[in-house]
Amino acid sequence: MQELSYWLPNLMRRLPEFWKACGDTLLMEAWAGSIVFVFGLVFGIILTVTKPGGIMENRTVYQVLDKIINLFRSIPFIILLTALMPLSRAIMGTAIYVRGVIVPLVFGATPFFSRQVESALAQTDKGLVEAALSMGSSPTEVIFRVYLRESLAPIIRAITITTISLLGLTAMAGAVGAGGLGDFAIRYGHDRNMIDITWVTVIVLVLGVSIVQWLGEYFARRNTH
Amino acid sequence: MIELEHVVKNFHADKKDSAIHAVNDVSLTINNGEIFGIIGFSGAGKSTLVRCINLLERPDSGNVRIDGVEMTSLKPKELYKARTKIGMIFQQFNLMPSRTVLQNVAYPLKDMTREQIRERVRELLALVDIPDKENAYPSELSGGQKQRVAIARALANDPTILLCDEATSALDPQTTGAILQLLKDLNRKLGLTIVVITHEMEVVKNICRKAAVMDAGKIIETGDVFEIFSSPKHPVTRNFVRTTSNLSKIETLIRDDSPLVRLKPGEVMARLVYVYADVSEPLISYASRAFDLEINIILADVEIVSGAMVGGTVVIFNGERERINRAIQYYRDKNIRVEVIQDAGA
Repeated sequence: MQELSYWLPNLMRRLPEFWKACGDTLLMEAWAGSIVFVFGLVFGIILTVTKPGGIMENRTVYQVLDKIINLFRSIPFIILLTALMPLSRAIMGTAIYVRGVIVPLVFGATPFFSRQVESALAQTDKGLVEAALSMGSSPTEVIFRVYLRESLAPIIRAITITTISLLGLTAMAGAVGAGGLGDFAIRYGHDRNMIDITWVTVIVLVLGVSIVQWLGEYFARRNTH
Repeated sequence: MIELEHVVKNFHADKKDSAIHAVNDVSLTINNGEIFGIIGFSGAGKSTLVRCINLLERPDSGNVRIDGVEMTSLKPKELYKARTKIGMIFQQFNLMPSRTVLQNVAYPLKDMTREQIRERVRELLALVDIPDKENAYPSELSGGQKQRVAIARALANDPTILLCDEATSALDPQTTGAILQLLKDLNRKLGLTIVVITHEMEVVKNICRKAAVMDAGKIIETGDVFEIFSSPKHPVTRNFVRTTSNLSKIETLIRDDSPLVRLKPGEVMARLVYVYADVSEPLISYASRAFDLEINIILADVEIVSGAMVGGTVVIFNGERERINRAIQYYRDKNIRVEVIQDAGA
């Protein structure tokens, strides 16, 4: 303890606040991540099946969704954060703290994850889809029993990458008063020049990213034959 | 019975581009229990045509009837149901890599308990003769084994029809033979109607009794395989038959000016092609004796196609011109097609 206080004087004095920052980051990651997962998966599937040559080809649906995703992917997240404040207030009742930042996080990461899912599903051999159809599978069955099932490994990798990039977004969200590790590092590490806090925050984030990456790789590999 | 009537399927490469006629007004009838071949060079439209049977490709116009049921007017649900009775296997096998053999074969099985499924899969795997692989993943199987699993899967719901899209094209000749034998057995045992799409003449010769030749989206010749092979009518068919016959090597030999085919004065080189089934007579030695000629066999390629002999020989006649002509006439009287390739003059 003495040792730690010597090396990390500022951090040790703000330990409760640090733990809370970690918790907030996890909270944002979990909430936003779950919602992004659902929407991204749905959009990724819709893109895959409605694109030209897909099993439920639909030009209009594909074009509209494709354009919307491109639109949101091209807006820098920091602008999205402020631009979506009114929407956030309307949906969540607030535009600050963890609750207030879920909406922009979802808007920021869903397009990315949708594209990731789309490209994961695109790796499915067209022949498998054809074989399933020839055995009497309906398009819905093809989605669940062929696309999702056979792309499990690449989808897990997509989740890994998105989780990590979402972690980066939560750090930025700190800038608009979301709390979390990003906010903690900026407020103390940067604004008050407390170098130890910057370093510890970075180390925690590196650990977090490593764990996610390792877990993702582990599950992806278990599903590759 | 599979009945195709004036089936047309176009593809549009580009909005402005004119349509590509993948299948252009094809009518075809395939009877129950038949093994029917559809042959053609790649790009002829065979694969599209076979997909019009189970409506993986929906024809732009025309009728597709299976046992009297018009496929193109089925509602989606009815179509899915109908497809369970039309098995299909592919060149690339298309097994699901994340599923074991058992899970692959179980894929089309529905409304059954776990135990019933397991039992049915074992039955099917025994039928295709790979009983001991149910827990293997496709990546652990050889090409021939994969195709057997694919066949088992295609037969899971007791279909009456099996569509084979270049099913042996990715296999080596020996494995091809084994798979064809299996198809023949299944045809006999289950009364399965089999439609075989291939660019390999060998395959058609081996298992089909009837066949259609396809070129540029059209069926250019159809009938008994023996007839198609022995007397191809359309130039494309002739070309096809020729590429698979050993006798075509003579052209190469002549082009290369091989000493084997250099004629001495008075000699005549001819191709004798057996057109009719009855060539059990010793034609060469008889003619040699009867007309006092030396007949030198340069090439021979005789095969059994649907139980009858097909093929011919390339020979060099040596002897008096008058006798050579009589020998040629003798062959023609025996219904053997004689084409004089080179004549060194009298």
